[in-house]
Amino acid sequence: MMIDRRLVQEVDWVLIGLVLINSLVGVLFIYSASHFVPGAYYLKQLAWVGAGLIALILVVMVDYKFLVAFSPYFYGLSVALLAGLLVFARLISGTKSWIAFGSFRFQPSEMAKIVMILLFARLFAEYKSAYLTPRFTALALLLAAVPGLLIVLQPDLGTALAFSAVAGGAFVLAGMKKRTIAVFLLLSLAIGVGGWNYGLKDYQKRRLATVVSPHQDPRGSGYQVIQSKIAIGSGGLTGKGFKNGSQIQLRFLPARHTDFIFSVVGEEFGFLGVFTVIALYFFMLLRMFRSVTKARDRAGVYIVFMASLLIAFQFLVNILMIIGLFPVTGITLPFLSYGGSSLLASYVACGLILNVRMRRFANV
Amino acid sequence: MPEGKIYEDLSTVVGRANTVFRIIAVLIVLALFYYWNVQILEHKKYWDLAESNRTRVRALPAPRGLIRDRNGVILADNRAAFKVSYVRENVVDMEGSYAAVGRLLETGEEAIRGRIDAFKSLPAFEPIVVKDGLGPYDVAPIESRRLEFPELVVDSEPQRFYPHGPLAAHVLGYLQERTPEEASALREARTEVGHMGGRTGIERQYDDRLTGEDGYLIEIVDSLGRGHGERDRRNPVQGQDVVLTLDARLQERAEELLEGREGVIIALDPRSGEVLAMASFPTFDPNRFITRFTPAEWLQLVNDPLSPLENRAVRGLYAPGSIFKLLMALGGLDFGYVDERTTVFCGGSTVIYGSPFACWFQPGHGSMDLSDAIKNSCNIYFYQLGRRMGIDMIALAGERAGLGVRTGIDLTGEKDGLIPSSQWKAKTLKTPWFPGETISVSIGQGQLQMTPLQVAAFTALIAGRGARIRPHLLKADQDAGKGAKAPFKSAVYGPIIEGMWRSVNDMGTGRAAFVAGMDVCGKTGSTQVMSRERAEKLAKAGIEIKTHSWFSGFAPRDDPRIVVTVLVEYGGGGGATAAPLAGRLFSLFQELQGP
Repeated sequence: MMIDRRLVQEVDWVLIGLVLINSLVGVLFIYSASHFVPGAYYLKQLAWVGAGLIALILVVMVDYKFLVAFSPYFYGLSVALLAGLLVFARLISGTKSWIAFGSFRFQPSEMAKIVMILLFARLFAEYKSAYLTPRFTALALLLAAVPGLLIVLQPDLGTALAFSAVAGGAFVLAGMKKRTIAVFLLLSLAIGVGGWNYGLKDYQKRRLATVVSPHQDPRGSGYQVIQSKIAIGSGGLTGKGFKNGSQIQLRFLPARHTDFIFSVVGEEFGFLGVFTVIALYFFMLLRMFRSVTKARDRAGVYIVFMASLLIAFQFLVNILMIIGLFPVTGITLPFLSYGGSSLLASYVACGLILNVRMRRFANV
Repeated sequence: MPEGKIYEDLSTVVGRANTVFRIIAVLIVLALFYYWNVQILEHKKYWDLAESNRTRVRALPAPRGLIRDRNGVILADNRAAFKVSYVRENVVDMEGSYAAVGRLLETGEEAIRGRIDAFKSLPAFEPIVVKDGLGPYDVAPIESRRLEFPELVVDSEPQRFYPHGPLAAHVLGYLQERTPEEASALREARTEVGHMGGRTGIERQYDDRLTGEDGYLIEIVDSLGRGHGERDRRNPVQGQDVVLTLDARLQERAEELLEGREGVIIALDPRSGEVLAMASFPTFDPNRFITRFTPAEWLQLVNDPLSPLENRAVRGLYAPGSIFKLLMALGGLDFGYVDERTTVFCGGSTVIYGSPFACWFQPGHGSMDLSDAIKNSCNIYFYQLGRRMGIDMIALAGERAGLGVRTGIDLTGEKDGLIPSSQWKAKTLKTPWFPGETISVSIGQGQLQMTPLQVAAFTALIAGRGARIRPHLLKADQDAGKGAKAPFKSAVYGPIIEGMWRSVNDMGTGRAAFVAGMDVCGKTGSTQVMSRERAEKLAKAGIEIKTHSWFSGFAPRDDPRIVVTVLVEYGGGGGATAAPLAGRLFSLFQELQGP
C-alpha cells in the first residue's frame, strides 16, 4: 500500500521524537543496570526499539478504519491464543504468559490490550448517546471480561490491571450516569472482596499488604520495595552518578533492568534525573492525549484515548509501585523497561495514535 | 479545511478525555512530590541504609607477640593459616546447611551443629569459626563453591606456631579459643570472640601483652556477599614480644636429660632469679593446641595418668628428702642450736623417744660436724638437731627461707606446699603434734611438701649467701625480690656451703654432679614415697622400692652463677640418678660461658 505524501506531512514527528528519546533513555539505564551481567540486554533492547519502529510504521500504513473493521477477528484470535496458552503453555517463572519460538518469546496478553482498544473503538463508535445504557454496558463488560479473566488466570495481575484500566477508560469516555457509576463501584467492591478471599494467591495478598507496611516481610515481598526505596532515597538531589549506584551495581535491587528501571534513574541521577525523565514522559503523554482533539471520528477518539491511557496508566502505576505507593504487580515502565513484548505493544499503541492523527482529514 | 457537517460533534468525549488526562497529570505531580520527600527530605536515612547494605566489616585478627629466649631464639612464632567461619544470617535452610557444610568441610553435621549451638548467644551476623588451621590448598575447594554456600566465609588469620615443638612447652603454655566473657574482659576490647587466647603458661601470664590490637576491614559487598574491593581498613597491630630469661640451649639439654623419665629440671641464676631452664616431663607439643578443634587429643592429655600438661616445676608437690637438711642446718645455726663445730656421733642408728631410727649408711659415719653431716647426708645428725629444735622452730626456719609457699614466679597456677607445725596439725587434723613426727621432718619426710621451684629458690638463697630472689621468666622483670629482708644471719651460710661443696667434690653423696673446674656445691635427696613401715615390708619381700631422686646445687662456689635443681620421680637415690643429670647441665653451662 502506497502512502500519500500528504499523509507523511501529517505524521507527528514530535511524538515519534519523544518516544525515541524515552526509548534511548531506557536503553541507557538498562545498560547501567545490567552491564555487569552477561546477556548484553541494552543491545537486545536497542534491537527491540528497531523492531518497534518497524511495527509502528506497519501500523501507521494501514488506515485505522480497516483495523477497527477487522477487530472482531483479531479479538477472536487473541482470545483463542490466550485460552490456548492456559492449556498448552509451559510455566515460565510461575506464569503461563509466554509463547516461545526457540529463544524468541512473546506475550500474547500484550497484544490483547491493543486488540481490546480496536474492538472497543468499534463498539463505542456506534454508540452516540451521552450516557451508556445497562444493556450496552453489560455487552461491553462481557467482551472485556473474557480476555481479562484469561490473563488473570495466567496469572498476570499487572497486565490484567492495565487491561481493565484501558477498558474502564472507554466507559468513562462514553459517559456513565450516577446510577451506573454506583453499580460499577458496588461491582468492583464485590469483585475486590470476593477476589481477596477466593481469587488472589497468597503472594499477591502479601504484595498488597506490603504497600501498607513493607517492613513486615523484609526478605520476601517487601524486599524489592525496600531495596528500591533505599536506591531512590539514597540518590538524593543529584544521584550517585552513572553506573555508580551501589544498590544497582551491587545487585541489591531485583528486576532492576525491567520493572524497577526507574529506581536506577532515582539512584544514579537523583531527584533531578527523576524530574527530567518524568518531564520528558509527561510531554510525550501530553502529545499523545492532545491527539484526541485531532481525531476525525468517534472511533479515532476512542483509539487515541485508550492507547494514550494504556501508556499513561502503566507509567503512573510503575512510578508509584517502585516507591512503595502501589503493590508490586509486575507492570513495566513503557518504553523504558527491558522487554520485547511490552516495548512492541507500546510502539504499536503509539502507531495507532499517529495513525489516527495523520488521517484526521476525511475522505483522504 | 472547512470544519463542517462531515465531522460529527466529538466535544463531549474529547472533553472527558482531557479531564482524564488532567487527573493523570495531577497524580504525576503528586508522585513527584513524594519523590522529593523520599529523595531530598529523607535522603540521609536512605543513604545510611544503602551504606550499611553494601558494606561488611571484617575483623583482621592481630598476630600475637613472639616469645623469645634470652638470646633472641624464637620459641613461639606465627604463621598464616585459613579459617572457615559460618554466618547464620546468610543461611537459607539451617538444617540442610548443617549437613551440606558438614560434608564440604569433612567435619560431619554434628560437629557443625555443636559449634553453632555453642555460640548461639552471638548475634546472627557474627561469624562462627567451624574449621581452622587450613592451608591454601584446603580452602580452594571451599572458595570455589562460594555461591552454593553463602553462609561460609574464608579468612586468613595468623596462627600460633611453636618452631621447636615441645621445647619449653610447660613454660610457654598453650592457647585456647576465647569465650565471649574473656574477650570482653580483655583491655579495651581489642580482640574478638572466637580468637585464640593464652590458657596456660607464659601465653596466659602475659596474654595481655602478647595480644595485639585487632584491625578491621570495611569491605564493599554485593547482595550475595561477594567482595568488591575495600573501602576502609585499620591494620592490626601485632602484640608485644615477650623475651624470656630462658636459654634455649640449657632448656633443650634439660629436656634431653629427662627424656624417658618423669621429673623436673630447673636452672636459674641465683643473682637475679632469672630462670634459665625449666623442664617438666612428660611433656606435650603445644602445636597440637593451635587449632580450635582438638577435643579428642585434649581429653587424652588431660586424662593421661602421667599428667603431661601439668608443669611439675611449679605444680608438683614433693617431700624434699635430704635436701631439707640444708634448711635444718640454716635454722640450727641461726637459732643457735648448733654451731659449725658441734659434733654428733653416727653409729648407724640411734634411739629417740624410745624408738629406733636408722641412718641410711648402716655402718655409721662416726663423729661429724655440720659440714661432714651435709657432705654425707647423715640422718643421725639431723635427727638430733630436729629433736633439739622442735617442729615449730623448724617451721619458722622454713617460713623464713620461703619453703612451702609460692615463690611468686610469673607463671599461673603455682602451688604452695606445706611445712607442718603443731599449730597446723591442731587446726587441720585436730590432734596434737607428737615429738616423734619431728624426727621424720628433720630429714625431709613426713608431711613436708614443696615444689621443685621452691627448692631451686631456696638453693639460690644459700648460693647468694642470704640474698633473696624471686624466680621469674620475663627478662624485663628487674625488681625480682630486691630489697627483701635477709632471712638468716650471713655467717650461717659458710659451713653449709662447705658441706655442699664437699658433697660433690670430696666423695660425698653428690659426687656424681662433679664438673672439673666448676666448683659445684650441692645436696642430694631421696624421698620415700610411702610410709617407712610399708617400705620396710616391701623391702623384706624383695620388691625394689624406688624413691624420688633429688639434687639441688649451684656453681661455682664463689660468685655462683647458676642453680640447678633436679627431681626424678621414682628415680632411686638422689646421688645415683639426679646428681649426674645436674652435673651434665652444669657442664653445658660451663661450655656456654666460654673459657
